Amino acid sequence: MVLSGRTEAFEPLVTPYRGPVLALAYRLTRDREDAREVAQEALLKAFRSLGRFDVSRSFRNWLFQIAANEARDRRRRSRREREAYEAAAHEGAADAPAPGPAPEAHRERRETRSEIMRALQVLGPREREVFVLRDLEELDIRETSRVLGCSAVSVRVHLSRARRKIRDAIRRDSPHLEAKR
Amino acid sequence: MTCRTVRKLMPLFAGDDLGPRRARAVRAHVDACPACREELEGFRAALAEIRAAAKAEGVEDWSEREWDALMARVAAAPEREGRPAFGARWAAAAAAGAFLGLIVLGMLFRGPGPRPGGGPKEAAVVIAAAPGPQERVAITMVSPETGLQVVWFLDKNFDYEGERE
Repeated sequence: MVLSGRTEAFEPLVTPYRGPVLALAYRLTRDREDAREVAQEALLKAFRSLGRFDVSRSFRNWLFQIAANEARDRRRRSRREREAYEAAAHEGAADAPAPGPAPEAHRERRETRSEIMRALQVLGPREREVFVLRDLEELDIRETSRVLGCSAVSVRVHLSRARRKIRDAIRRDSPHLEAKR
Repeated sequence: MTCRTVRKLMPLFAGDDLGPRRARAVRAHVDACPACREELEGFRAALAEIRAAAKAEGVEDWSEREWDALMARVAAAPEREGRPAFGARWAAAAAAGAFLGLIVLGMLFRGPGPRPGGGPKEAAVVIAAAPGPQERVAITMVSPETGLQVVWFLDKNFDYEGERE
């Protein structure tokens, strides 16, 4: 690849994705520190492997693939995930946004944030990867399978389970959302 | 399609992840079945809620200092250039295997080493042809040191048929 090995060319290439890669890492790890480390390692690996990037693919999805692999490796190495979830669930008040003109809206948003955390917590590792990539990052099934290195059938199976679990978790933990319908 | 089948497919249908044929069948059932329609709305609402929550959640972006530090690490990181691709690595391994195989074969045919007094130094190769139409070729290799004879039989297309010592 033309850009291979040129750091001055790498930065403008990855800058548009610095936020998305970090967000993906956070959604997969649910820990801010871990997410930063995962994203950093992913970008370093991306630079080192730039020569092997298939230009027919989406660059963003290629970065996502590296970040997802890095997050998976980290999860295998670390047993801290459960603690991070618990910490994140109680974090609401600590990193609440500054008081603004609509405190009701902020409170509602904080509650929804805890709900999403709880809902993601019920998913197994593969289910979470599939759900985050397909439903939160909005990759299609084919790209999701490519990013995760598994078959489209496997993605569909895990996605189906994940959506059912998420629906059940929201129904159980947030009946007010169900009642709004 | 029964309600049971439709409900199995419902999570994928809710996210537009079914193929067109199945999606049409589920749509037709849902249009006619209020209970399944309600189930579908439940899935769609849950997906919409969690997507909205994920967007609202946001993730704190890198500080410029962090980003600059990362780019400095990138600049200091040597790129793994010249690392052969997966296929090339297999090809290299196969070539190394073939080379080792040749060495082993060479050692087998070399025998225990030259005898004092010596004899002819080169192996004799005799190609024997049978009378009549040429159907088979035999190649005989004789070790001048050990006297070991190996005969290879090849058919008229030079496909290997076997050997005899």
